[in-house]
Amino acid sequence: MSSITPTQVTRRSQLYRRHSELGAEFEENNGLILVKAYGSETELAQAKELGLADLSTLPRTGFKGAGAPDWVTAQGVTLPRQPNTCAVQSDAGLVAKLSYQELLVLSDLNATSSMIEKLNQCSVGEQTYALPRADSHCWLAVTGSQAAEMFSKICAVDLRAHKFANAEVAQTSVAKANSIVIRHDLGSTQCFYILTDVSATEFLWDCLLDAMAEYQGKPVGIEALRALV
Amino acid sequence: MKILTCPLNGPRNISEFTYGGEHHSMPDPNTTDSRAWAEHVFFHDNAAGIVTEWWCHSASSFWFLAERNTITDEVIRTFEASEIYNQRIDFVAASTVEGS
Repeated sequence: MSSITPTQVTRRSQLYRRHSELGAEFEENNGLILVKAYGSETELAQAKELGLADLSTLPRTGFKGAGAPDWVTAQGVTLPRQPNTCAVQSDAGLVAKLSYQELLVLSDLNATSSMIEKLNQCSVGEQTYALPRADSHCWLAVTGSQAAEMFSKICAVDLRAHKFANAEVAQTSVAKANSIVIRHDLGSTQCFYILTDVSATEFLWDCLLDAMAEYQGKPVGIEALRALV
Repeated sequence: MKILTCPLNGPRNISEFTYGGEHHSMPDPNTTDSRAWAEHVFFHDNAAGIVTEWWCHSASSFWFLAERNTITDEVIRTFEASEIYNQRIDFVAASTVEGS
């Protein structure tokens, strides 16, 4: 067991008890506590097949309003062209366009993206409204070659690679919980970020593990995800 | 499962949507009488035939309009609310109206 535990900090994932029960080793990164690994030597191979990771403590934010696209562009954000797509930023962060006037900004896996802190510290432009996402949504990642098939059990949108391309976004129901699903491949491995209302975090985690069990899917730490990139 | 096509998100299961009531044109709140305003807010036509309705895609909180035949339950088309509401509507406070 690591000497770092989520209870040492104020900000922790809603799943930290689940992680502790699974024997997780935690890491501290700029004050953020993440699951580094669960102790299995085959975690990287697991992530390539079917893995589930909790990224809920990583930074994220959002903006909405008629002026939001122009304002974030003025702050240096590269906007995706179409709603329901996302674009990787120069600092490795990710921006998803949820509608013509709504944007979701996600950190990279190392939390080195500076865009979120910069945007949060600016005073927003006209007809632009901050839409904080860090406490409203959990953030999970499902990785691996069997992820899309597993999703067919709990999500009505066809997420197979030839139907749901990399950088596409689907706002839909996952295990009957309203979710934002973002395909953001890590290297050559398919990866789906899922952002769901924070009150459904434990429910969704359990549902995903239950659906993944058929394919021998297991939780993986962020170290395995970083190794995929 | 019925399928409804969201103008933003595309075809989705009907379970992802919430019905938002009939769409009516709003009377001018500064000139209409209380009866007409109450009818606009509370009453429904419940017409048999093609009607325009508000629907919300719950997963994205996206409100849009649908033309639906209430006899056959056929959805003729769905479209963004911006087709009708293309400019901001500002309401003048009642006290300001009385004082003017």
